Amino acid sequence: MRRFLALRLAMSAIAVVLAAAFTFALIHLSPTDPVTLALGDGASAEQRRALSEQLGLNRSLAHQFGAWLGGALHGDFGQSIFTHQAVGAELARRLPVTLSLVGGAVLLALAIGLGLGFAAGLRRGSWADRVVTTVVSVGLAVPAFWLALLLSLAFAVKVRLFPVAGYTALTQDPFQWARGLVLPCFALSLYSAAVIARHMRGAVVDVLGSPYVEAVRARGTSRALLVRRYVLKNALATVTPVIGIQVAVLLATSVVMERVFVLPGIGSLLVSAVISSDFPILQGAILVVATLVILVNLLVDVGLGLLDPRVRPQ
Amino acid sequence: MSAAADRAVAPPPEAPASAARARRSRRPSTWRRLRRQPLALAALAGLAALIVVGLLAPVLAPFDPNAPDVLHRLQGPTARHWLGTDELGRDTLSRLLYGARTAMLTSFEAVALALVVGVSCGLLVGYLGGWWDRLAMRATDILQSIPSLIFAFAVIAVVGRGTTPTAIAVAVVFAIVFTRITRGLVLREREQQYVDAARVAALRTPRILFREILPNVLGPVIVEAAIMLGAAILLVAMLGFLGLGLGATTVDWGHMLDDARTYQGVQPFLALPPGLAITFAVLLFNFAGDGLRDAISGRAHEARPRRGARRRLRPHPRAAARGTGLAAGGRGEPATAAAGAAADDALLTVAGLRVEFPGEDGDPVEILSGVDFSLRRGETLGLVGESGSGKSMTALALLGLVPAPGRVTAGAARFGGEDLLALSEAELNRRRGARIATIFQDPIAGFSPLHTVGRQLVEPLQTHRGMSERAATQRVVELLELVGVPDAGRRIRDYPHQFSGGMAQRAMIAMALSCEPQLLIADEPTTALDVTVQAQVLDLLHDLSAQFDMSVLLITHDLGVVAEACDRVLVMYAGQIVEEGEVERVLARPRHPYTSALLAATPRNEAGGGRLPTVPGRVPPAWEWPSGCRFHPRCAHARETCRHGVIPFADGVRCARVHELETAASR
Repeated sequence: MRRFLALRLAMSAIAVVLAAAFTFALIHLSPTDPVTLALGDGASAEQRRALSEQLGLNRSLAHQFGAWLGGALHGDFGQSIFTHQAVGAELARRLPVTLSLVGGAVLLALAIGLGLGFAAGLRRGSWADRVVTTVVSVGLAVPAFWLALLLSLAFAVKVRLFPVAGYTALTQDPFQWARGLVLPCFALSLYSAAVIARHMRGAVVDVLGSPYVEAVRARGTSRALLVRRYVLKNALATVTPVIGIQVAVLLATSVVMERVFVLPGIGSLLVSAVISSDFPILQGAILVVATLVILVNLLVDVGLGLLDPRVRPQ
Repeated sequence: MSAAADRAVAPPPEAPASAARARRSRRPSTWRRLRRQPLALAALAGLAALIVVGLLAPVLAPFDPNAPDVLHRLQGPTARHWLGTDELGRDTLSRLLYGARTAMLTSFEAVALALVVGVSCGLLVGYLGGWWDRLAMRATDILQSIPSLIFAFAVIAVVGRGTTPTAIAVAVVFAIVFTRITRGLVLREREQQYVDAARVAALRTPRILFREILPNVLGPVIVEAAIMLGAAILLVAMLGFLGLGLGATTVDWGHMLDDARTYQGVQPFLALPPGLAITFAVLLFNFAGDGLRDAISGRAHEARPRRGARRRLRPHPRAAARGTGLAAGGRGEPATAAAGAAADDALLTVAGLRVEFPGEDGDPVEILSGVDFSLRRGETLGLVGESGSGKSMTALALLGLVPAPGRVTAGAARFGGEDLLALSEAELNRRRGARIATIFQDPIAGFSPLHTVGRQLVEPLQTHRGMSERAATQRVVELLELVGVPDAGRRIRDYPHQFSGGMAQRAMIAMALSCEPQLLIADEPTTALDVTVQAQVLDLLHDLSAQFDMSVLLITHDLGVVAEACDRVLVMYAGQIVEEGEVERVLARPRHPYTSALLAATPRNEAGGGRLPTVPGRVPPAWEWPSGCRFHPRCAHARETCRHGVIPFADGVRCARVHELETAASR
């Protein structure tokens, strides 16, 4: 198990570097010239050369990438082209917001999705199953940000249960922090909850139809034990990779949620960076998101290894 | 079911090329299945309507979607503006219609692009395999570590904003998914015979890829494309909502929602039309995709279980009650207790057992039509027949394990003074594994892959005998040693995938024996095993049945197994017992033409490599069982009398012409 962990960790590190290289390459493919962007068309050749030098643009691409990655490892992601603020500090300020939002949504999606899917799969064909299946179909189609709009209209504007917008740091006021996250987390989680429920239901149905469940029933094991010991574990092992993918989806969709509820997370930073072509911010933010996704995949792999002996290294 | 049985009776192997064609000709039944799914059909119709609306938006829209009207800003629905107006007084209905046009155009553009790129890449890497494949998969892994929306950001940052850049951004994201899906399908298809045949025929790679493989992977890919179209609409809407969308003059639903967000305090109604439109469009694509998927994979039936499926756990109480009498056959045919020896020494007596499944068109299809037999104490009774004859279903019915949505509709199974078919699930549970044990065809698949073998083996002892984990483990180790599993103390900590088939079947047998059952049901216990191991397992079963004083119901397709292991044999065809008798007699002088045909098709160790004789044709599916003698379409001796009426089971055989044929044979 230790070797397996070390191997997976090394692979993840490589994945982060490659993801960084990819983002870097993509952005440098852009026809937009950051120097022109920053200085406008009227800048003199002198000014342009000075800025080029300052940004390191006169060096080779490989050198630039090396320098950037080396800095990134120390938390130095360069400076914003426009505000000249350190990208690293900005990311660090915004990361807790994104993590709170996505973390809460992941927990909700797991609780709702696994619960509903499990219950529906065990009672296939019942009215409860049909209700869950219908809710799931709708959940897969409702755009998260529209749901967020409606929820905020209902529970923040009309009934003032929750704040309309804004983020309170956990360290500042835990209650306000939680209160502000209820609506965004719930709205964000719905789609992933639907996906997870759908897969969980399918997995439970498949497991119930498997030869080993027939064998378990044929040896007189009670249904309660069958469900608790065999169905739950086997279905969870099937759904675990889906959970990993959904965490990535939640990370991405959190961008939209940040816009609806005006949360100062990584997503809103990304959007403004895309609009203004602020490449250092773009690179840094994408790398942070990619690293989070790769970390989640690592966790999923380890979790799967714990669940399923067949994927454990011998 | 069993490969060997299928080989024995299958028609001569098809030419590979025609096999490929046969796979393609699934289409007609795909359409038939699709036609039976009203929801999917409605979704397809809705999509067609949505596309027409998009195309005709300029004609249908009552106003110019971009024409401001400052006097009528932020109105709710009025007679003039059915869905109200936005912050510039623009007509929401018109914007909604034009938005449909944008949504359809961008998502189709994106998915079409992704399809072309993704499917080509997938075909290529899947077919080339090796390093190409590994490299491409690692690359997609990396690309997929950047979530799709963020990826789209990066693409938009590079290529700029507008309809085509948005489509490109979405297409790049989806192309990766299509590559993976296609590649997975190609890897599966590569193993198919027809690809080998094409390679042997020295067809050129592109030809194999596009003419042979592509048609076969297209079905699943199209399904995925339908779902992706829905996802594309969501993604485009998100980009529009974030202000990264299509630009000022193009109307898109996401941007409309962003406006609604800004003015939600003044005119909350603004949020409704575009949100509903997106939800509705995505729903349509999802339902259409799901319907297509079910139709292509033939799972339409599974996807929407019928009412009454829940009744599977227990036979219908009334039916069970009806079946308690020995003579209760139902459906006009008198029950004819196969074993006239329903005598005192009978351990199990089955009478008039009927099992039904709902057919594709909703009418019930009977797959067991009045099965009667009895099993004596200490006897090993063979139940033999081709795949689809109902052997395994008979066993499952006895155990109360008929899979949903099938159910037992009539019959009785007397076992130790009670009717198994009338017992509740809880009562059955106390007998299963305790007094009736079962072993199955594929022993490895019969163990949960995530639990150690030991954990599963101790279960009957804990459940039925209330033994502690420790005592049960000790007993299981003894039993494993008894059935010949070496190093049993260590092996119980192994997982099923670490067992060979033969060892796993020995472990299954050890578990079956653990509560010392009176009856062991062995469903094709040797079929999945190597030939050399088969004989060992049969010998083991034989010795143990004597040692533990067990009766065995041995289900097999192989008369060789019957000859080796059984005392008496039942021959089953199309849901009925057609012959019954002592093994020596049946093998030496079969009376039913089906038994003769099976015997003739049993390979013997004779010299010479002539073609294996087969029973011509195959068991028809239950809904096509003919009237009269069910074997008559395949029978060389069939006459007009065989085609009609009910052929009774009399004197150990179910054949209208048995006496004629026997007289002719003895002459």
